[in-house]
Amino acid sequence: MPREVVSTGNKLAALAAIDAGCRFFGGYPITPSSEIAHEMSRLLPKVGGVFIQMEDEIAGISVALGASMSGVKSMTNTSGPGISLKAEQIGLAFMGEVPLVITNVMRGGPSTGLPTRPAQQDILQAQAPTHGDYQSITLCAGSLDECYSETVRAFNLAERFMTPVFVLLDETLGHMVGKAVLPDIEEVEANIVNRRVYEGDPATYEPYNVPADEPAILNPFFKGYRYHITGLHHGPTGFPTEDAKLSQELIDRLFNKILAHKDEIESYEEFMLDDADIMIIAYGSVSLAAKEAIRQLREEGINVGLFRPITLWPSPEEKIDELCHKFDKILVAEMNKGQYFKEIQRASGKKAAEFETLFKANGRSISPAEFKAKIKEMV
Amino acid sequence: MRKQLRFTGVGGQGVLLAGEILARSYVRAGKYGIQVGTYTSQVRGGPTKVDIILDDEPILYPYAVDGEIDFMLSVADKSYQLFKEGVKEGGIIVYEPNLVYPSDDDKAKWKMFPIEVITIAKEKVGNVITQSVVALAIATRMNNLDKEMVYETMIQTVPPKAVEVNKKAFELGYQEAEEVLAKYSS
Repeated sequence: MPREVVSTGNKLAALAAIDAGCRFFGGYPITPSSEIAHEMSRLLPKVGGVFIQMEDEIAGISVALGASMSGVKSMTNTSGPGISLKAEQIGLAFMGEVPLVITNVMRGGPSTGLPTRPAQQDILQAQAPTHGDYQSITLCAGSLDECYSETVRAFNLAERFMTPVFVLLDETLGHMVGKAVLPDIEEVEANIVNRRVYEGDPATYEPYNVPADEPAILNPFFKGYRYHITGLHHGPTGFPTEDAKLSQELIDRLFNKILAHKDEIESYEEFMLDDADIMIIAYGSVSLAAKEAIRQLREEGINVGLFRPITLWPSPEEKIDELCHKFDKILVAEMNKGQYFKEIQRASGKKAAEFETLFKANGRSISPAEFKAKIKEMV
Repeated sequence: MRKQLRFTGVGGQGVLLAGEILARSYVRAGKYGIQVGTYTSQVRGGPTKVDIILDDEPILYPYAVDGEIDFMLSVADKSYQLFKEGVKEGGIIVYEPNLVYPSDDDKAKWKMFPIEVITIAKEKVGNVITQSVVALAIATRMNNLDKEMVYETMIQTVPPKAVEVNKKAFELGYQEAEEVLAKYSS
């Protein structure tokens, strides 16, 4: 039976983590994400898990990585400024292939920005949160239901691809209270993905000696399988190397393990696009205003639809390309200065001037009225 | 039918709780309710608003639409002045007369009801924290919402040890709203 609850996006993300098997949380409170930590501190002890509030953001992700290395599904949580602080350890997670779910409840930036107000200014940060070459997986919830379902999916993807996975919420979704319909718990549990484990002779265990498009197989520490995790370029056993071939193969594999399996990661919604004359592209809480505007515009006989990427990175580039060539009139709306717009242009090969845009970076949500006014200019 | 309500105050007054209870009560009745707050990064004293949308149909965009708000309750003048224009012409505004100072123009534009929300909580209920439940009861009466449904939801939502004091707060708030309505409609 699907579960009907009244909750906030933040609390739903925490519940999802527990249901997905998360048993460790390390973090540091920051508005507007703190309720995820509050809720984890309440829920984790009930299921035998561990919650630690650390002295700062860096320590928060560090202990979460340590827990994950010992085989426990782990989470850290923050907002944009916290991602900036965690950047170095996020790099270690990419390089060492340590699974971790990182929720970012977005607020306005740069720097400490607008702590209590919604924004979508961390889209490019999620794609490239730290230095070096790697491929990010970033999911973006567009409703209360998805604050739950995308967090569950993030844990499964982190374990499948042995990588940090970002879940983006924003202040509106994180704090709004409303009805959410969650999948049956048995259904969630039946689809849980656990990281692979090597069960052969410990003497021949080489965690990073895997096919060119597959993730490392990292056994839990302290169980008799000895290997090394480092931020340096490394060979099959995880010990550092400067070998040119191994270095290239390692970075290629960090890309290929994601890009060769995009079909397992990609997710998007096409809303009322079939008979539409105008397409809106929006994601996150902005899509709620877009859908409301579409409902009202259709009552006036203006056929508008929505394309909403749910997996932002890697982007659904083929779908974006296809739709951007199907529609002449396209409106891209974001609560930033056009961060995903760059990706839409890249994926479609169309120039900026071929789109209409609605960008807002003042900590206020884009309203249905603003969508309607803009669309009416385009008719 | 869609109802759009707004509670305004300053940070720290606990207006969020009343909105959450209203949204929950609608969902319990098989309908839809959404509450979303807007606050500033000041710990206390910043203007705060809580929008509540109640509807028989699903609600997508969670914020109330300025100019369409049916009911506003305000317990701080700076929030009142900042947010009053969101209320539709002829809409209901309940204000704490010791803290909110509407102009004569305001009184012509909206149906204004002075209720000493904070004084009731502080002196009649005996605990200022209960002001959000006093406000909840007033909103329930003023908007003709299902009293039993809101009351039961309130009991289930507040901390167990605070149930009795909040029952009292709800009854006093509801009664006060009845009296004010009777007085101003006669």
